[in-house]
Amino acid sequence: MSAPLVPSLFGACYILTGWIVWIINWILRAIGTVIPPLFPPLDALANWLASAPILTVLTWLVMTLVMVVWACLVNLLTMMWVERKFYSRLQDRYGIMISIWSLPLWPFNRRKDVPTHKGWGYLQNVADGMKLLQKENLVPATADSMMFNTAPAWIAGTTLMIFAALPWSSGLYVANLDLGILFILAAFSLAPLGILIAGWSANNKYTLVGGLRSAAMLMAYEIPLVLVVIALVFTTGSLDPKVIVTQQERPLLTLGPLVIPAWNLFGVQAIGFVVFLVAIIAEMERIPFDLPEADAELVEGWTTELSGMRFGLVFGFKWLRMIAGAGLLSILYLGGWSGPVFTTLYLGSVPIPIVPEEIWFMLRVYLLGLFFIWLSWSIPRVRIDQILNIGWKRLIPLSLLAIVAAAAVRVVTG
Amino acid sequence: MAGVDWEAVAFIVLSVLEVVFSILLVTSKRLVRAAFWLACTLITIGGIYLLFRAEFVFLIQILVYAGAVPLLFVFGIMLTRRKIMEEPSMEGPP
Repeated sequence: MSAPLVPSLFGACYILTGWIVWIINWILRAIGTVIPPLFPPLDALANWLASAPILTVLTWLVMTLVMVVWACLVNLLTMMWVERKFYSRLQDRYGIMISIWSLPLWPFNRRKDVPTHKGWGYLQNVADGMKLLQKENLVPATADSMMFNTAPAWIAGTTLMIFAALPWSSGLYVANLDLGILFILAAFSLAPLGILIAGWSANNKYTLVGGLRSAAMLMAYEIPLVLVVIALVFTTGSLDPKVIVTQQERPLLTLGPLVIPAWNLFGVQAIGFVVFLVAIIAEMERIPFDLPEADAELVEGWTTELSGMRFGLVFGFKWLRMIAGAGLLSILYLGGWSGPVFTTLYLGSVPIPIVPEEIWFMLRVYLLGLFFIWLSWSIPRVRIDQILNIGWKRLIPLSLLAIVAAAAVRVVTG
Repeated sequence: MAGVDWEAVAFIVLSVLEVVFSILLVTSKRLVRAAFWLACTLITIGGIYLLFRAEFVFLIQILVYAGAVPLLFVFGIMLTRRKIMEEPSMEGPP
């Protein structure tokens, strides 16, 4: 019942692509005017670029680029910064504090009076990324170098695939699929193969143990993850994220001025919510379940031999998977991007957002992120046999119970 | 450009990729490479399902087979041989 800030990402990107093509065509024709024999082919190229089908194809490219920049350059860096600041505060220290005034570049090195180490430290992750880019990419002498080089690309590519179908609001998405939730789960399930290949191909005992642990663990937790989605389908009747969120917008209960929305969390799906929460933490390999890369016993597990930006990719994309997991959790159980009614102003029938849907969605994603970070820096790691016991003996029966309960409620209420 | 049947082009590309991946799968000596090519083969088959407008079968193909291939691999490592790869030889460069 609130309005999105970006009503249609495709429309916005179409206008943006139009501007880019207009500037390129202007440059092409200017070159053609300066060098007259080149004018006819350049003019034909400009006309071809501005034709409708080519413009649509270019718009799709720009759209995926915008989504990658939005997910990686904005949200990934912010989530990493939030984690580093928050766990530092949990450990009673300040964490990263380098300010932008410590940069050895022109506008920043002028101010000698500003302290350089009392800032927010937001750009520390960018600096770490630059450092990793400059490092040498080492391949161990006995490694299977083709597989060793393929695995980080596989992990990074399948993680980015999630964001093709993950909507950030009713307007900010790349593709709206009828089976969007299933697509996101399928993209989630492709990464374990990459992790296994990375663990095996380095030809190192630690990485192999980490990779095998990760395969055993992710297999165990993927089954309850999909089973509770089946339970959810009994309630929603759809796998389309937009439909699932729209169903959760209606009021469940009115207590005076307070209206409680009908989130899937309230009601029979609460069992499913608990199972999904535990399983998605395991899928992200965060600390209670981070056995594949247990740094105390396995020296970072399957990432031991990766170096340079390959390590940066697989390490940084864990936060991207965390954002995707939190987004999936909030779409399925916590009302997605729906906000209170009073945050939308209606001019006639045109909704003007005061607090747009994207803000509500990101509020949920970051609160869930804070919860995951809090959890992972407060409790110790679970042993590998205990992890598999939790997965196979607790979560799978619970998720079957969730299916039975959801089906029963569906039969009773009709 | 207008007369080209793009679906046929996509089908041919996917089929050629699939045949190449299958040949690589049965000829590769190393276990994990074979598992990787198996995953590639199954995903390209999923792409052909997608061409037939069967999105659900495509997604189930990815979910089930990408989940099953690592399992196969784990069993392969546990049941077939002791050494994970060729050990570096003690004399001479590796």
